[in-house]
Amino acid sequence: MTLKNIIRFVLLVLLQVLILNHVSLGGYVNPYLYVLFILWLPFSTERWVLLISAFLLGFAVDIFSNTLGLNAAASVAMAFARPFVISMISTGADFEPGSRPSIKGQGMRWFLSYAVILVLIHHTVLFYLEIFRFSEFFSTLLRVVLSAIFTLGLVLLSEYLTIRKK
Amino acid sequence: MRNLYLFFRKHYFYFLFLLLETVSLILVFNYNDFQNAAVYTWSEQAAGSVNSMFRNISEYFSLRNTNRVLTEEIAQLQSRMPEAFYKADTNTFFLRDTMYKSEYRYIAARVISNTTAKRNNFIMINKGRMHGVQSHMGVIIGNRLVGQVVGVSRNFSWVMSLLNKDSRISGKFRKNNQLVNVEWTGGSYRYGTVREIPKHFEIVPGDTIITSGNSEIFPEGILVGTIEDFTISPDENFNTARILFSTDFNSLGYVEVVIDLMRKEKEDLKNSVQTK
Repeated sequence: MTLKNIIRFVLLVLLQVLILNHVSLGGYVNPYLYVLFILWLPFSTERWVLLISAFLLGFAVDIFSNTLGLNAAASVAMAFARPFVISMISTGADFEPGSRPSIKGQGMRWFLSYAVILVLIHHTVLFYLEIFRFSEFFSTLLRVVLSAIFTLGLVLLSEYLTIRKK
Repeated sequence: MRNLYLFFRKHYFYFLFLLLETVSLILVFNYNDFQNAAVYTWSEQAAGSVNSMFRNISEYFSLRNTNRVLTEEIAQLQSRMPEAFYKADTNTFFLRDTMYKSEYRYIAARVISNTTAKRNNFIMINKGRMHGVQSHMGVIIGNRLVGQVVGVSRNFSWVMSLLNKDSRISGKFRKNNQLVNVEWTGGSYRYGTVREIPKHFEIVPGDTIITSGNSEIFPEGILVGTIEDFTISPDENFNTARILFSTDFNSLGYVEVVIDLMRKEKEDLKNSVQTK
């Protein structure tokens, strides 16, 4: 389980820095699929592991994209919010031990609201921290929304690809 | 103390979050605006080697596009080669001056070789007899004086630069038409000497010297330069001044050859007076 997550970590960072960082639609839309790592961590993950691994994930992406601290801050914020989001949208039923959030396990509606909230948190922190001024508030908001849609599309695509593999 | 420990233990998630977030933000604000080399050396190297490794592979996928760009660039450069526009590019421009019923023609030419460091400097241009250039024609750039044509071949011309010991320009002060001679006495290519300034004439640094139009080489009013400073020589009949040339001879790209279409008429008239 741990090994699987480490491999996923490496693969997602490489995918992000080598390919997705160079994808930009109209100067507005950049996908940040590496957050999939945080979305896919098992329910039973210790909370400190969650924060530390999120920090390392963002830091690794930062090193390769020359934005030291930026992705780390966004990832840590997202990881921090994850337990609250899960308890907020879940109906109280216990999760299978060792399972991770997925469409198959929790249903489309649950997974979509889970992913939308967390991705929006991540992108909001990322883009506003990157700009760091309020004069471009609305154009940044547009970037957040469009990029979140792009990222979510890739997240759902990954979900379906892994379901078919099983 | 124990309570404090328990407090931290209970809320470690928040404290860990705050700690990591603070570290991230410190990184953001310290290392993004001005890139600190000390922290960056190792991370840059690691990132650089991975990126260049990937770039080595990904380059192959864009070879077709790279080829296209390169061929376009070669074509563009080739069309800029001097050979590409010898015969085609004979643009001539007419200036019809109705006030004086005079007519000058200008031929644009490209400077092929140029020196400023010698005592006698010459400029070679890529227009020659075929394009209508003849000896003793003036060469200007914009409204500034460059020199005069001294030798013409089929496709090229030699221009005696103002920076030449044989070059003597008949000029005048713009403010009152006082005639003077302008020479270059060597040294810096930016400064020349104005000779034969009458004693009574008051010189002010910054005075503009233009061509007089007395020779058939240059039209009247071409800029020569501005007075930089001057010396009063009590023993001589004339004062001299140092002039800052308007033309930057070291950066000539394109120049214009001036053709005086009434030159023959003027010369004929002059000769008819002299022979009497």
